[in-house]
Amino acid sequence: MTTPGTIGVAEPQASATPAPPLAARTRGLRKVYRKTVAVDRVDLDVPQGAVLGMLGPNGSGKTTTIRMLLGLVRPTTGTVELLGHPLPDGAARALPQVGALVEGPGFHPFLSGRDNLRRCAAAEPLLATGSISTAVDDALERVGLADAANRTYRGYSLGMKQRLGLAAALLVPRRLVVLDEPTNGLDPAGTREVRQVIADLHRGGTTVLVSSHLLAEVEATCTHVAVLHRGTVVAQGELADLLEASTPALLVSTPDVDRAVEALRAGGISTRPWEGGVRVELTGTAAPAVLEVLVRAGVAVHEARRQRTGLEELFTQLTEADPGESETFAGARDSLDVEEALR
Amino acid sequence: MTVATDTAAVAAGDTPATPRAVQAPLGRMLWSEVTWVLRRPRTIVSLALLGLVPIVVAIGVLVADRGQARAPGSDGVFTSIAGNGLMLPVIALSVCLALLLPLVGAMSAADALAGEAAHGTLRALLIAPVSRVRLVGIKAFGVAAVVLTAATVIAVVGVVTGLVLVGSHGMVTFSGTSVSLGSALVRVLVATLWATVQVWAVAAVALAVSAFTEHPLVVMAVTLAGAIVFGVLSSIPSLDWLQPFLLTEGWPSILDVLRDPMPTTGLLDGVWRAGCYLLIGLSVTLARVVTKDG
Repeated sequence: MTTPGTIGVAEPQASATPAPPLAARTRGLRKVYRKTVAVDRVDLDVPQGAVLGMLGPNGSGKTTTIRMLLGLVRPTTGTVELLGHPLPDGAARALPQVGALVEGPGFHPFLSGRDNLRRCAAAEPLLATGSISTAVDDALERVGLADAANRTYRGYSLGMKQRLGLAAALLVPRRLVVLDEPTNGLDPAGTREVRQVIADLHRGGTTVLVSSHLLAEVEATCTHVAVLHRGTVVAQGELADLLEASTPALLVSTPDVDRAVEALRAGGISTRPWEGGVRVELTGTAAPAVLEVLVRAGVAVHEARRQRTGLEELFTQLTEADPGESETFAGARDSLDVEEALR
Repeated sequence: MTVATDTAAVAAGDTPATPRAVQAPLGRMLWSEVTWVLRRPRTIVSLALLGLVPIVVAIGVLVADRGQARAPGSDGVFTSIAGNGLMLPVIALSVCLALLLPLVGAMSAADALAGEAAHGTLRALLIAPVSRVRLVGIKAFGVAAVVLTAATVIAVVGVVTGLVLVGSHGMVTFSGTSVSLGSALVRVLVATLWATVQVWAVAAVALAVSAFTEHPLVVMAVTLAGAIVFGVLSSIPSLDWLQPFLLTEGWPSILDVLRDPMPTTGLLDGVWRAGCYLLIGLSVTLARVVTKDG
């Protein structure tokens, strides 16, 4: 479990079905700032049409990876392909179709929300000059800022600033939208709205890349997940696959735990008692075989279900792989909480 | 799956909807930049303060002039304004060129790159995307617009104040000759543009500094320090070989427009010198912006 790729589907699936085209792809990405290695050997695949959640503790290289993905930062080594164009040379072709909210919203405090967006819109290559007003109003409407559009950005709350950043990313219909911690500073209602926006984008066929430290957030909105830890991708793939692949297990509820355990062990199947029944590791055994053994032994089976690991458990497994690191991670988590509390 | 097949998948499934690199119309971006810099509160405040300079100079001179009978032979620059309204804008420009105009240029350059980087708005432009070469062009244009506006404000307020307080009898030059109102206005225009070019040179260097930092204050400090160092260097006699290279050295030449006929050597030297600083400043800015991590 200490080596990357042992959990889940770190490698792109080599199956009979052809791999879906990728909206973004990095290979061997490495970025060194002076002597600090921020990111190393990042091979990230963002399938087209996916909502990919990028997870990782603070300082795990999420933002650096995103910055390289957008051509803001030149990788020390490695390649980036965005919408089929190599970066940074193809930036002018790829980026007009990419919307991004990176490292928090950046706007001018003395301008109103609307004027700030107009300034962003003026730089958008795919926006005709005549349709700037409509695009700006639509984007403001979409993030629920229409009423506050004429107030200066200085007076915005953190959540409103975040919404304006989101609006800037949505000015033009995009093929890829990159959101770095989009729910920072948002109240629960705002978080739900962001989730709604992501779902809308997904329905419209837009690929979305969301980085977040809120696991529930990612679990609720994403189809794919990439987990970063210490500057490298330790797991990536479809969310469902990852969760299943990590701990395939069957939970069987039965009133007769002792007999069930006995029967299964006799059948060479490893098992242990579990709340109201037994838990069977599905390594080398299929679920029907387990049930067959139990039924043959005359054990009453009330219910049998696949155990789905929560993302949080998976994340903990991946990022606390060796005991020495768990402390760092716990520290990171604490600092997250402090950050949240300060807001 | 190998990298090669991955590439094939990307190529096959992904026909770019934009066949070639597109950019937002340049005119639209320049307009957006200029309206942004000119709407900024600090720009408005500094323009207003610069506009006060000719008024203060005029009032000061008039009060001093009324207070004492003019001593024979005391034809200093300032006293010559008293009977001579159209000298006021040129002298006000010369006063501002010493420090105030360069400070406005430096402030504007500081906000253009360092300030935008600090606000996180530079990132938005790069992601839009605006090519980095074009970004430098747009930013330089915005700074140039502020400097030109500032010099124009001083000149216009100077002309109006001069005409109101002293009257429109044309201009009596330092050389004792008298030129018509039209000719005097042309001379004011020359002085305005000349001062603008000089401050552009300062601002270009400030823009280069601005490209290296995220702190606008650093840009201001460097510019101010530069102005002081240049002043000190030009006052050390043993370093007089350095003087042709000092930008500030040629600045007194702005008063040449008040002579008749107008001597052009000093003014042209100043333009060449400013051109060199401009070129160096913009080249360094470009080199830095193109290579830096955004």
